[in-house]
Amino acid sequence: MFNRLQTKLTVLYAGLFALALSLVAVTVYLAIVGNAQQTVRKELTATGTVFDRVWALRTQRLQDGADLLSRDFGFRAAFATRDAPTVESAITNLRQRLGLDLAFTVSVEGEVIGIDPGQLDLEKLWTALDGETGAQGVFVVNGAPYQIISAPILSPNLTGWIVFAARLDRREMQALERLSAIGLEAQVFDRRGQAWITDSITADTPRLAVFVDTAIRDKAGKPSLLKGKAGESLVLVKPLKSLSSDSAAALVLRYPMALAMAPYRPLMAGVILVGLIGAALVAAASWALSRGLARPIMALDDAARRLQRGETVHVTVQTQDEIGRLADSFNHMATEIRDREAMITHQALHDEETGLPNRRALEREITTRLAQVVPGQHVVVSATGLDRFTFVRSAIGYELATQLITELGARIGLISPETFIGRLTTSTLCVVGTHDDVETTLSRIEAVLTGLEAPIRVRGELVDIHMTVGVATTIPGGPDAPRVIEQSMIALDQARAARRKVMLFDPVAYGDPSGNLSLMSEMLEGVANGALFLNHQPKLDLRSGRITGVEALVRWKHPTRGMMRPDLFVEMAEETGHIRALTDFVLTQAIADQKALRAAGHDVLMSVNVSGRLIDDAEFADRAIDLVAREGARVCFEITETAVIGNPDVALGVLDKLAAAGIPVSIDDYGSGLSSLAYLKQIRADELKIDKAFVLKLEAGGKDALLVKSTVDLAHSLGMKVTAEGVETREALALLQLMGCDIAQGYHIARPMALEPLTTFLEGWSIDMPTDVEAGTLKHA
Amino acid sequence: MRFIATLLLIVFFSSKALAGTLSVTVRSTDGKPVQDAVVMVYPGGQPTRGPITFPWPYRVAQQNIQFTPFVLIVPVGAEVAFPNLDKVRHHVYSFSAGNKFELKLYGREENRTVRLPTAGVAAIGCNIHDQMVGFIRVVDTAYAAKTDAAGVATISDVPSGSVVARVWHPYLRAMKNEKTLATTSVGNGTTRETMAVELRPQGGH
Repeated sequence: MFNRLQTKLTVLYAGLFALALSLVAVTVYLAIVGNAQQTVRKELTATGTVFDRVWALRTQRLQDGADLLSRDFGFRAAFATRDAPTVESAITNLRQRLGLDLAFTVSVEGEVIGIDPGQLDLEKLWTALDGETGAQGVFVVNGAPYQIISAPILSPNLTGWIVFAARLDRREMQALERLSAIGLEAQVFDRRGQAWITDSITADTPRLAVFVDTAIRDKAGKPSLLKGKAGESLVLVKPLKSLSSDSAAALVLRYPMALAMAPYRPLMAGVILVGLIGAALVAAASWALSRGLARPIMALDDAARRLQRGETVHVTVQTQDEIGRLADSFNHMATEIRDREAMITHQALHDEETGLPNRRALEREITTRLAQVVPGQHVVVSATGLDRFTFVRSAIGYELATQLITELGARIGLISPETFIGRLTTSTLCVVGTHDDVETTLSRIEAVLTGLEAPIRVRGELVDIHMTVGVATTIPGGPDAPRVIEQSMIALDQARAARRKVMLFDPVAYGDPSGNLSLMSEMLEGVANGALFLNHQPKLDLRSGRITGVEALVRWKHPTRGMMRPDLFVEMAEETGHIRALTDFVLTQAIADQKALRAAGHDVLMSVNVSGRLIDDAEFADRAIDLVAREGARVCFEITETAVIGNPDVALGVLDKLAAAGIPVSIDDYGSGLSSLAYLKQIRADELKIDKAFVLKLEAGGKDALLVKSTVDLAHSLGMKVTAEGVETREALALLQLMGCDIAQGYHIARPMALEPLTTFLEGWSIDMPTDVEAGTLKHA
Repeated sequence: MRFIATLLLIVFFSSKALAGTLSVTVRSTDGKPVQDAVVMVYPGGQPTRGPITFPWPYRVAQQNIQFTPFVLIVPVGAEVAFPNLDKVRHHVYSFSAGNKFELKLYGREENRTVRLPTAGVAAIGCNIHDQMVGFIRVVDTAYAAKTDAAGVATISDVPSGSVVARVWHPYLRAMKNEKTLATTSVGNGTTRETMAVELRPQGGH
């Protein structure tokens, strides 16, 4: 509720003022009430005293009248002689003269003259009159209280009493009320039995009766406060003498406090009014003050939020106080934050060396462009690689090489101002553009490349530059920014590999590296569930014309992708370290197949391909040797070429072990790739397999035939057998035979086949060897 | 002479041989003796037949603006004298039933008499002086006396036998201002009786 400073301050000040004022008002009120009560008390007491006097005077007046009559000789004579008419006329006369309510006589015998005896309790009256000479007091006649005065009639002894009675009614009370300075209310209560009765009944009468009872019993002579239905009033109870000892009467003087308070009401109203006006003024003043205080704070608060959201903010505060200074500090801070943020953003998005946008900036640009392209347009990302950059850099130095890149970026910017140019790697710039047609773009890139490759002058020196461009494109929903950059980089690699200047990313050639790992785990599953299996390609002994061996070739029928290309997944297995598991499988399966063939009566040498990466794996070799020995198998390890043998010492040890175990080793795919004479020297092998690239073109003569011939001779001279792969024609077979090649393998002899067809094949094998003639002569079929 | 006296004494005593004396002491409830209480004895409950005489004068004087005596016992039909011994004049009256009279203003030494024909009370007052109050008890029995300062009334020669005795006092708080004694008989010798009575206060009359 009070989360605003302004509200808090206003409520606090106004509240404090209102509290103080309330205290003042309460104090004033209490003082007034006390004062008013005091006044009323005094007045009540005074009126009580006055009443005593009035009562006494009236009593005296009545008494005088009664005495006068009681001593009149004629009256006494009439009374003593029971002359009732005379007596009655006498008292009526006196009653009228004195203005009395009642006047009558009571004889000592209990006879009453002047009033109907049924209207009063005669026995009680007689007892009271007889009990005291000149008895007087309040007595109930005909249900109403009367002030009774009596005088004895002596003639000369007591013969009766004259009784005068004045009614204590409302009229009488009003006369009494008029005597008071304040408008108090007088009332007579008389007790009949236990109840206090009065003639003027109000809502407060029962309460008042209880009050009177208590006051009489406590003999309270002072006014006290009574809370009635009509509000508080001060009440003074004056006991009145009762004629009869067993009854009681009281004069009740009452003054409502509301009346006493009435004169003070304007004063109280004034205090309250002034208080309210004061509170309103304080509230308004503190509202204004706190608004002056809170408004700049709110402005600062708002500015801080906007600053948080990254907006540019400036707070205007006019005041020179602490808040003004705070606002100044805030503005300084905001400016500095903005500058620093701009710097950080620049740093985050730019290459430090060249000042060109960096990869993050490029990604952002691509994303932005992707959001803006219209259908049919492509975002084209060109990874522009500076060829042989390391050479250039070592030639001209680090700093100038960087300058070169900067210069090149500027040059591209001049040619294609609509593009966005950034630096991807040390030697690669990236150009992001938006184009309608990819082919046109490629052509254009090729066209401008010539101009771009013009020598660049760096510090007065001309530097030759050559560039290759890898291009990748994307559209909304296509590869995202990091991906398309990656693809452009791959396209650059692909272009360099293909020795082309500009090349579009070829996804087919690239494959999907991210699928490789899952493919490998699927391959391992295939080993277990039989999706991987072996086909065997027979190897023909060119001297005997018999099939002396087979090469076990692994095949994989993928459950969803169909037959997998062996070179693809084998290479992948090599790259991902799964080659050992794959080789284990092939070896185990080959040995099992060999057993099956043996059982069918065919003893063939099983050639198993072993990756060059495994040749320095002693553990693999040990296990393989162990397995071969245990199964009594006859296998040959065809070692695929590999660029480097990781650990030559271990590799040599392995080869020695294999030799010792009687496992021949063959060098596979000799002649292509990286095989060299050094390799031959390093690897001590039993066999050399000439790559099919040479054998396929054998018939054409020329270099290939010479190479094959010399290789055969070289191998033989090194003590190795020679196997030729890719023999697809009878002519090739014949030539190889002539060249002295030992073993041939190829479609001309047999395709790789499963175990069962192989068995059949072996059963039916016969060949008409082309060169059973002398060297140089060929048989023609 | 002495003989005669002795004889008289003998006659006196012998003639009273069959009579007794009743002595009544009247006290107020607080034990003080009550003076001027009239004790009346009715032998056999009957009033006395024949003329009754009492040894005291039938006279109420007005002296010092007072009636003297305050209480006087007289027999029925007695002539009571009201001599005025004061220098002022008096106007004596009685409104008592049966014994009503009025002696209008009369002066010093004037001797007026009033015959009181009815047994009962004659309350006498003076119309001029309210404070003057006196009582004349008119009795129809020969055996009556009033108590002295010690509150004692002695009645001699009461015939032995059953009696009804009453005590009256002008202020006695009872019906007709009189009460009946507990004594129901008088034998030879002295019968003593004490009675406690309640008197009305008389201040201010």
